[in-house]
Amino acid sequence: MEMNQQFSILAVDDNPLNLRLLETTLTKEGYRVLSSKEGSLAREIAVKERPDLILLDIKMPGEDGFEVIKNLKNNPVTAAIPVIFLTGVSEINAKLFGFELGAVDYITKPFHPREVVARVRLHLKLSIATNSLISSQAEKLKQISEAQTSMLTTPESHPEARFGVYFVSLQEAGGDFYEVLSISKDIFGFFVADFSGHDIKTGYLTSSVKALLKQNSTPIYQPSESIKMINDVLVEILPEDKYLTACYARLNRRAKQMVIISAGHPPAVYVPHNGEARLIEMDGDILGIFKDVYFGRQTIDVTPGDRFYLYSDGLVESSQERTVWSKDATALLSACHRSGDLPIKAAPENIVRLLLNDDGKAEDDIVVLGIEV
Amino acid sequence: MNFKALGSNLGLEEDEFMELVELFIKTADDDIQKIKTAWAHGNAEKVAEAAHSLKGSSGNLGFLNISEVARDAEKRGKENDINNLDRLTDSLEQMLSEIKECACP
Repeated sequence: MEMNQQFSILAVDDNPLNLRLLETTLTKEGYRVLSSKEGSLAREIAVKERPDLILLDIKMPGEDGFEVIKNLKNNPVTAAIPVIFLTGVSEINAKLFGFELGAVDYITKPFHPREVVARVRLHLKLSIATNSLISSQAEKLKQISEAQTSMLTTPESHPEARFGVYFVSLQEAGGDFYEVLSISKDIFGFFVADFSGHDIKTGYLTSSVKALLKQNSTPIYQPSESIKMINDVLVEILPEDKYLTACYARLNRRAKQMVIISAGHPPAVYVPHNGEARLIEMDGDILGIFKDVYFGRQTIDVTPGDRFYLYSDGLVESSQERTVWSKDATALLSACHRSGDLPIKAAPENIVRLLLNDDGKAEDDIVVLGIEV
Repeated sequence: MNFKALGSNLGLEEDEFMELVELFIKTADDDIQKIKTAWAHGNAEKVAEAAHSLKGSSGNLGFLNISEVARDAEKRGKENDINNLDRLTDSLEQMLSEIKECACP
C-alpha cells in the first residue's frame, strides 16, 4: 500500500539528548525526522532535503539559531519553510528577535514532547492552508472579469490615504499600473508595478494582481508575506516569459513606520521632511517566474511630512537617449526635492514635468505615485 | 525511581524512555566532568556552558532535582562565583548515580 505524503521535520539542537528526544517523539507521530547538532550542517540539510518544518535551538556553539534562520530566510530555496525556535523561558528579547527574523513560533525549554507535537501539527496545518489558499486564489482569478477591477483608485476616492499620482498608459492595455489599499484606519498599502513586454494583452493580468492585492493585503500578513503570496499565485497563472516588477510600500501612520518591499523594481525615493532625498536601493527577485523568491525589505521610521515616491521605469529610462542611471538618479532626487513645496496631489505631475523636459511627450507608460506620511 | 511514569509523562513507552535515560547518563556524566574540569581551571564561563547543557537535558526528561542544581551551577558560573562549587558537583554526581542504579541494577 502506498503511504500518504510523509512530512519531514528538521530538528536542530547541540544537546544530543534533546535532539534524541525530539527524534523519538516526532518519529513516533509518523514524521520523517532529520537532525543536526550544529547550525551550518542544518542549513545544508535544509537546502538538500527541504523539510516541511524546522525546529531550531537558539543557543548553539558556532553558528547560533539566529544566524541559521537569517541564512535560511535569505535563501529562496529555504525561505518559506516554517521555523519554530527552542528557547529558554525568560529570554523575551530572544523570542521577539526570533519573530523579527521570520520564525513562526517558539517553544520554551525544557520543552514537553507533547507540546512540540502540538505546535508542529499546528504549523504544518497553517502551512498547508496557506498553500491551498494559493491554489484556490489562482482558481478564482480565472473567473475575474476585467471590468471588476479596472476602476482606478484615485486620490479623490481615497483622500485618507494622502497620496498623489501621475499615470499615463500609452498602450491600450498598458504594462504599468498602481493600486492603493486601505488596510485599516491607519495602515495603507501602495503598489506600483510594471509587466514585462507589451506584446500580449496585460489587462486581465492587471486585474488579477489588483484582486490579489485586495485579498492578501490584510493586517495579518507582513508586507513581504503578501507579496510572496501574490508571487506564488502569479507563478501559476502567468503565461510563460511574462513577469512583473513591483514596489510595495506599506505605511502605518499610527506606528509611524513605512515598510518597503522591492521585487526587481527601480528604487523608491524617500524625502524626509527636513532632509536630503535619497533612493531606497535593495535587491529583490521579480514576480511570477520563480516559486522560491527573495524580496528586498526595508523598514523606515517616519515622521509626518515625510514623502515617498514610487514610480515605473518610464520616468527615468529614456528609450531614445540612453542616459546613464547615476545621472538619472541625481535628476530624479532633485526633482522630488524641488516638488516638496507642492501639495502631495500635485507633486507627481511636477516631477514628471521636471524630468521629461516639459515637452509633455512621454515615450513609455509612466506611473509616479507620491505618498505623504 | 519510576521510569515508566516519567516516560509516560512525556508520552513515551518505557523502552523508548530507557533509551533516552541511557543517553542522558552518558551526556550528564560528560557535562559533570566538564563542570569539574572547568572549575579546577577556574573557568567560570565553561562551568556555565556545561551546566546549561545539563540543565536542559535533565529538565526535558523530568529529572527536576538535577535540573535545579544545574541551574544554580549555571547561575554561579555566569556570575563568576564558583567558590565551593564542588558541593554542587558532588550533589549532581550523587543524584546521577541514583539514576544509574535504578536504570542498570
